Formats: sequence, structure tokens, C-alpha cells
Amino acid sequence: MPMPKIHEVGDRVRSSVALHTEKKREPRLRPRQHLKKKLRHKPTKVAIFRYSYYAPAFKYFIEQVLDCEYLRLPDPTDRNIELGSLYSSDYVCTPFKHILGDFIEALELGADIIVQTGGPCRLGYYGELQESILRDLGYEFTMLNFSHGIEKGYVGWAKEVLKVVNPDLNIPHAVRQLIATGGMMSKLDEAHDFYLANRGFEVEKGSFDRAWTALSDAFDACKTDRDITEAFRIAMERFHEIALDKPENPLRIGVVGEFFTAIDENSNLHLERKLTDMGIEIHRMINFTNRYTHYNEPNLRRGASKYLLYDMGPTSTMTVAAALSYAQQGFDGVVHAKSAGCTPEIDCVPVLQQVSADYGMPILYLTYDAQTSDTGLDTRLEAFYDMIAMKKEKHL
Amino acid sequence: MTEAFLGIDIGSISTKGVIIDDGGEIIARSYLWTEGNPAQATKNVIAELREQIDEGDVKVRGAGTTGSARRLVGAMLGASVIKNEITAHAVGTTYVHPDVRTILEIGGQDSKIICVSGGIAVDYAMNTLCAAGTGSFLSSQAHRLGVEVEEFGEIALTSQNPANIAARCTVFAESDLVHKIQVGYARQDIIAGLCQAVASNYLNNVGKGKKIEAPVVFQGGVSKNVGVVAAFERLLDMPVIVDADGHLMGAYGVALLARDAGASATDTSEGGAFASGAFDFEAALDFAYTTRETHCGKCANNCEIILVYRDKDLVDAWGNRCEKGEVMKARERKAAK
Ligand code: SF4
Ligand code: SF4
Repeated sequence: MPMPKIHEVGDRVRSSVALHTEKKREPRLRPRQHLKKKLRHKPTKVAIFRYSYYAPAFKYFIEQVLDCEYLRLPDPTDRNIELGSLYSSDYVCTPFKHILGDFIEALELGADIIVQTGGPCRLGYYGELQESILRDLGYEFTMLNFSHGIEKGYVGWAKEVLKVVNPDLNIPHAVRQLIATGGMMSKLDEAHDFYLANRGFEVEKGSFDRAWTALSDAFDACKTDRDITEAFRIAMERFHEIALDKPENPLRIGVVGEFFTAIDENSNLHLERKLTDMGIEIHRMINFTNRYTHYNEPNLRRGASKYLLYDMGPTSTMTVAAALSYAQQGFDGVVHAKSAGCTPEIDCVPVLQQVSADYGMPILYLTYDAQTSDTGLDTRLEAFYDMIAMKKEKHL
Repeated sequence: MTEAFLGIDIGSISTKGVIIDDGGEIIARSYLWTEGNPAQATKNVIAELREQIDEGDVKVRGAGTTGSARRLVGAMLGASVIKNEITAHAVGTTYVHPDVRTILEIGGQDSKIICVSGGIAVDYAMNTLCAAGTGSFLSSQAHRLGVEVEEFGEIALTSQNPANIAARCTVFAESDLVHKIQVGYARQDIIAGLCQAVASNYLNNVGKGKKIEAPVVFQGGVSKNVGVVAAFERLLDMPVIVDADGHLMGAYGVALLARDAGASATDTSEGGAFASGAFDFEAALDFAYTTRETHCGKCANNCEIILVYRDKDLVDAWGNRCEKGEVMKARERKAAK
């Protein structure tokens, strides 16, 4: 066999390297446009599902990080869950139905891109299923699914965002604004903690709700981190100025449960409003900040090691640890909110019953599905209130 | 003269009423079918109560309502207390049995359990999802077997060998029952099996995870069934107390709450049943009550709003989920003028 000439070896190596890199590169579907930076990107309407009070942060993310137009969904009505239930399997957990309903409404309003943030548990798989349901319904859209790429860490996730939404992002700027978005989420949570603890005791009805709307509007207008800090400062001042008529030792209830239902008022039929209307101080550990930004599962579990040996599910550790801490602080009761069919939170119930028995603190278990009615909920909350109020009176 | 208070418990199946005196003693009682018409059932109950008292002596100073139609009937009567069934039952029962620890209740269409400690409710659960194991389930099965539901308990007690009936769900229970009849089980064994199934179904669903401690009091329509009582005693291995007035405990509880609220809480507005300061039986029976349904229509929720009229006056309205759908009542409209 004749030896190949030396320059031929070089060619072969070069061609195989070229072939290899070619395979790895994503095909570029659009020819790159060399426009001025500002004009490069045509305005694209982006919508996210409704989720509690986080809309200003979603808006900030879409406008300041993704540099797109934010499409705000109007306040939800029954149509939301009707649409969602109509096109979902009956047994899927309720958050799936709410989110699907939101997406349909968003697409009707002309969204180009819808965002599924994914999340722990089955939420991580919702995106694909919802996308195919929506395609079967004939909608044309792009879905930005955070579950894609996140397995490759933040860089993978960022690449996914770049690919799907806006290839021309100014990365350092976007990263700064992403951090600012996280900051806004935390500030929303911080303000809401104050709101929950005090709304039940306002002297003038509606003061807290008006202050909240003002905060939300101010956050909507923010463009930079500094705007956020300033808006937050003003809002908190306003909150602290509201006149309160709060007893020395008010009734205190902790809300625990599943990530969507325990937090989102559209899903839990305004649980927090109903409870604070009765003149109760509410605490809720589970929120975006505590579950994501500051989440340290092993640490949290250590505090409840008598009840928890391992991580039972996406929010289970927080549910049990929060209930336990409320019990230890002498709260009057805990309300546990979950979606129907939510396996991880159903698994928490026996543990919570143990906590309840050990500390003599009543726990009300609420399960929400698409049919849960306001009247039924009111009866149960009223009975729970009577119970803890009578108990407190007796002990004083 | 006796100061008295009225309590009415309007359930989906039956309507219960009591009048109590100052000392908390029941001086009149009534128990009738609701028959889908809570307003009429309430009038019938009031008429029955009226016959049992001396109107010259007894002055009813306030009223309380509970049960699923509590709001409607509360508006009709001008009640001072409108309370949920759980609180009403807990208050009534702990008054009669200060040391009670567990209250079991099985009514016509729902069931509940209340755990009590030191005279106050500390935990409760209710089943509103499934009718299996409630009163209406038992009466439909009695009908199938051709016996009166009232005789059920007695027959059950004669059984040596209760049949094993799967009663987790009405549909399964029925098919299992039909099967047992066909293979020739004795009737008393089937009936005893049904009673057993009701009790164990209750303990496995409503009572799940609840610590059941003695003394146990059993209430609601089904508590009149001695077969179910015996089944509970066997399953719990402890005595189960059933009061003669156990089915009236909800009504009794709200009557007590109305008494504690006092006469000052009563709605004595003109045209109402308490306008004179004492309950006017004549007027309450004479009023024409109508309920009308409208839809708000101010947003896509299109809330269904229930309007209750006494003669021509709107006495109450509810169902709106936000203040945009609020309807002004006659009394408020007069006050606004
Ligand atoms: S946590 Fe519960 S509601 Fe959420 S995805 Fe998992 S099962 Fe569904
Ligand atoms: S009452 Fe409020 S929520 Fe209901 S339909 Fe009217 S405007 Fe909508």
C-alpha cells in the first residue's frame, strides 16, 4: 500500500474537522440582517400566562430582557377555566387548565410568542402538551418553553431564548435586566407579605388594594433597576402610612400548599382576600422568591427533620416546613391549598395531620378543581374562622 | 313572660326548627321535608312551632338560620345570626354535651365530622362530593328492597351475618346489592351489610386521618337508624351517643347563637317579621316571598345574582363577585334618600 503524500493527510484532517463542526452548527434559517441595532428586531407580541401578582415582573422581563412587546391579558373571568377545561384531559391538574385557558386567550388577542415557564413537577412537561393542543386547535405561534435548554444550565437556557425569541439581544444588557427582573419579583413578594399581614386591619376599606394597584402600576412603568428601587421605596412608604386598627394578638393563619394554587388568586378563588376580609393576619412562605431565589431544600428540611426524611416533591418540603414553623410560632391555624390530583401535595397531608396533632393547631385542607364553587369555599372558611376564633377566645 | 329565640336549619332534604327559652331549653320543635322549596318549608316549620307555644306568653326576640338555604331564609325572617352548619352543630352539641370529643353527622346529602377539645371545635371535615353513605342513599336502597327506611335499623339488628357490601360509591353499591339479592342473601343480612357499609365508608372518607375519641355523639337523620349506630359502635369499639333531639342540633345551635347575640342584633326594620320587637308569626306566614335570578352582565363572568323579595321589597341580594354587581336593598335605598 503506497503511503499517502503528506499534503493529502493534511487535507483529510481538515475536511473531517470541517464536517464535524458543520454537523454541530445549527442551520441558520434566516439570513442575518445587517440593520441598525434598533431596527433589527421587529416588535413581537409576547404573552405569559396569568400568575398572581407577578404581571409587572413578566412585563419587565419581556420588554427589558427580551426586547419585545408585552401583551397583557385582561383580568380573568370564568371563560378562562372554561376554555382550559374544554381542551384538557379531565384528570390533568388544575394549573394546566388555567394556563391553557390563558394561552388561548392570549392567542385570540394576537400573541406571536407565548411563554411557558415550566417549573418543578409535571409543570416541566406542560409546555409540549399545551403546544400540541394549541397547534391542533389551529393556532400559529412560537412557544418559548423554559423547560427546553434549562437542563444544560443557564447558558443552555439563554441559548434557547436567543434562538426562539430574539437572536440579536445585547447579552450583557439582557443579563443585567434579568437580574433586575429577579429583584422585582422579590420586591413584589416582600410588599405582598406586608399586604397579607395587614390588609385585614385597615381602617379605611380598600386602602391596601388601592396601594397595591399603585405599586403594580409603578412597577409596570419601570425601565431600569433604579426605577424599580425607587418605585418600591415609594410604594412601601405608602403601605406603612395606611392607618391600621390591629389588635395586640390578632388571629394568624399560614397559607401553605402547591406552587400554583396556593399563590394564584384566580386559581384559589381569592383565598387571601376572603381570609383577610375576615380580619386575619396571613403569612405565606411559599412564593417565587422563597421557592427559587432563596431556595435551599436540604436546609429547609433540616428544620423539619422530625417529619421529613427526604425531598418528597417540588413544594412538599416547603409546605411541611412552613406549617411546622407556623405551629411553633403559635399560629391559630394553617390553610393547605392544592389542585385536585396533585400527588406531591396529597402526600403532604398525612404529615401535616401529624404536625396538627402534635401542636394542637387546626389545618384546613382545600382541594381545587375546575368546579370548585365560591359558596362551598365560603362555608368552609367561615366554619374554620369560627372555630379558631372561638378557640382563641377561650384561651385568652 | 318568656323570652325566646328561634333557630331554623334548612337542609336540602329536611328543614328543622326549634324555639328555645332563655335558659336554652327547647320549648318547640319541628322537622319537615324541604321538598325543594325552602321558603315554603320554613313557613310550614314556623306554623308547627307556633302551635306548640303560648303566643301570649312566649316572645321570640331573635332568630338564627343555618343549612344550605340559610341566607335565603335568614333574609326572609330578618335573622340576627346566619351561620354555617359546622359551627351551628358544634355550638349546639357542646352545649348539651360539654365533654363531647367527636361529633359524627350524617344527613340527607352530606356528612361531616367535628373534633372537639375543651368544649370547642378544633378540627372538622365534610364530604360534599359523593352521596354514598348518606341518608338519600339509604332511602333509595330501602326503596329497592321494598322496606321503609324507618324500619331499616330494626331489621338490621336481627342479622347474625351482615353481608359484605362495597359502598365506596353509589353505583358500585347498587350493583353489588343487586348481585347479593340475586344470589339469595337473606334480606336482614343485606340490610345489616348496608348499615355496616355506611359506617365504614364514613370512617374511611370523612373520618380519614381524624382521631376519634370518646365521648362520641352521632347526629343527623341517619343517626335515627339503630343499625348504623350499632355498626359505628362495633367499628369504633366505643359507645356512641344519640340524642332524641340529635337531628335538631343545627337549629338548636343557631338558636343559642341568636340568644347570645341578643335582641339588639335583630333586624327590627319596618315591614319585617321582627318589626314589633318580637317575632310576628302571623306576618311571617303571610308574607309573600319571591326569589328572582338575574345576571349581572357587566363582565364575562356574568354572575348569577339572587334577589329575594318580601312582598315588593328587595330584602337581600347576593351572588355578585365584585362591587360592580351590587344591588341596593330596599332598606338601604330608603336610608340613602
Ligand atoms: S405540583 Fe401538583 S399541581 Fe403542580 S404540576 Fe405537580 S401535580 Fe400538578
Ligand atoms: S358582579 Fe362583578 S364579576 Fe360578576 S359579572 Fe358583574 S362585574 Fe363581573
